[in-house]
Amino acid sequence: MNITDILQSLAGRYVTQSFLHAFIAVIITDGALRAWKIEDPAVKQRFRILTVLFPIFSFPFYQLINPDRGSLLFRTGALFDSGRWMGMALFGVVPLHFFFLFLLAGTTLVFFFQELVPILKHMRESDTEVDEACDPAGKDLVDEALMSLPMARPRTVIIDDGDMVLFSSTGRAPTVFVSSGLLQALNREQVRAALAHEIAHIMRSRRPILLATFLLRMIMFFNPMVLVEFRRAVRNEEKICDDIAVSVTGRPDALAETLKKFYSSPGRSPDAAKKLLSTDVPLEEYSHDLQLESRITRLEKAGLKNRGGGWFPFTIVLLVMSAVCYFVV
Amino acid sequence: MRDRIRRYVYFTMTIVAVFVVLKTLNWIPLVLQQGTLRTYDSIEAVKAKLNIRDIRVPTYFPQSVTWPPSEIWAQTKPYVATLMVFRRAGTIGPALVISQAASDRTALDDRIRILQVKESVPYDLKGRNALLKVGICEQNDVCSRISWNEGNSAMTVTMKSSPFELIKIAEGLVP
Repeated sequence: MNITDILQSLAGRYVTQSFLHAFIAVIITDGALRAWKIEDPAVKQRFRILTVLFPIFSFPFYQLINPDRGSLLFRTGALFDSGRWMGMALFGVVPLHFFFLFLLAGTTLVFFFQELVPILKHMRESDTEVDEACDPAGKDLVDEALMSLPMARPRTVIIDDGDMVLFSSTGRAPTVFVSSGLLQALNREQVRAALAHEIAHIMRSRRPILLATFLLRMIMFFNPMVLVEFRRAVRNEEKICDDIAVSVTGRPDALAETLKKFYSSPGRSPDAAKKLLSTDVPLEEYSHDLQLESRITRLEKAGLKNRGGGWFPFTIVLLVMSAVCYFVV
Repeated sequence: MRDRIRRYVYFTMTIVAVFVVLKTLNWIPLVLQQGTLRTYDSIEAVKAKLNIRDIRVPTYFPQSVTWPPSEIWAQTKPYVATLMVFRRAGTIGPALVISQAASDRTALDDRIRILQVKESVPYDLKGRNALLKVGICEQNDVCSRISWNEGNSAMTVTMKSSPFELIKIAEGLVP
């Protein structure tokens, strides 16, 4: 059995079509987000989750309603038949399906090393007991900030580190980790905003929809479009937690100032981040700073005007992408 | 109101753009690669354009089935394959399908789908080891299929009928 036969098998068609369906779903979704000017990160995330989940179920669903979708007649009348491109060869020598498989293999490696391994590591660390009194210097500041927040108080660990460190672990014993360096750099309001943001992450990690999305997303480990969309959904999660923190503290300016401390180079301004492409900073840092900049700009806009599109655009997008992808084989 | 209409227009334009791009991308391989699967008007056209010399045509042909084929499909990429679809006089759907593909590849024979195989037996077709299947197709029609290797080609003949006529047609394809 050679590669062409594998790609024409049921499993091969699932892999190929899920890639194409994800690609089309992303374009349609992005078009809808622009058309309806949707800015609410929670609504945006709903659309992103749709594009992550849609290609998992599209092929089996279409095959169920029409087992003849793989037939010659259907493929010839289809909007797009992947078999035509897969059968082509670059300069008559290198088959195009080789590049497709190379893309899938690359995505699988990225998924494994950048998503699965860190998550497993994170889960192991979450279950590890931490010495809560490792650096009591900022304990009073943290206690004071937590007392004033109308949220369930999580375990908090102050790490003796001069760098700007702030993260939370979820797992069985959710914990907020904050470095002494960060506590020294922030005032009381900023510490409140930072902790509120992390507590929002812990609260939302208990929503089964997010966990279910991640577990299902793992089925699409080979799909580059799903990889990108899942990361965009995760970025939306940061903005959602920003919104929760602002709604609790009422101080978007404090959260914005806190985020500015996290630029990859100390003292870098948001404007400087825009010029990063012309410098020799690593791409990862550049991407990190751009994400921060987008969040800071959003917080600094007066009053976080979230514009959602409700369920109507979502339903239209789902129907349109289902109809278009049916004819993509 | 105007803003709402503008949103729908913008979204519709996105869908139209997706549609046009997909159609164009689907058309490009047909232009770039002569051997991509497509329909042809006649067997002579297939021979001339794709340089496929060995296209087998049955010497026996039942009167109920119309000649020439209602559809002819052929490709040379990713492998050489031809498909001829015949109809019965006065009907629309395919009645007989003759498929010829490179011997180690999948035949393009899905125009008549046997939904339930009632019997599958080896058959000696003029000294060739053939496999004969008899079953039920859509609308409970009896249909049968015979497949064997002929030189470098995998031959498959599928017909909406009992196997008797089918075997006669298949024997007409063997030199």
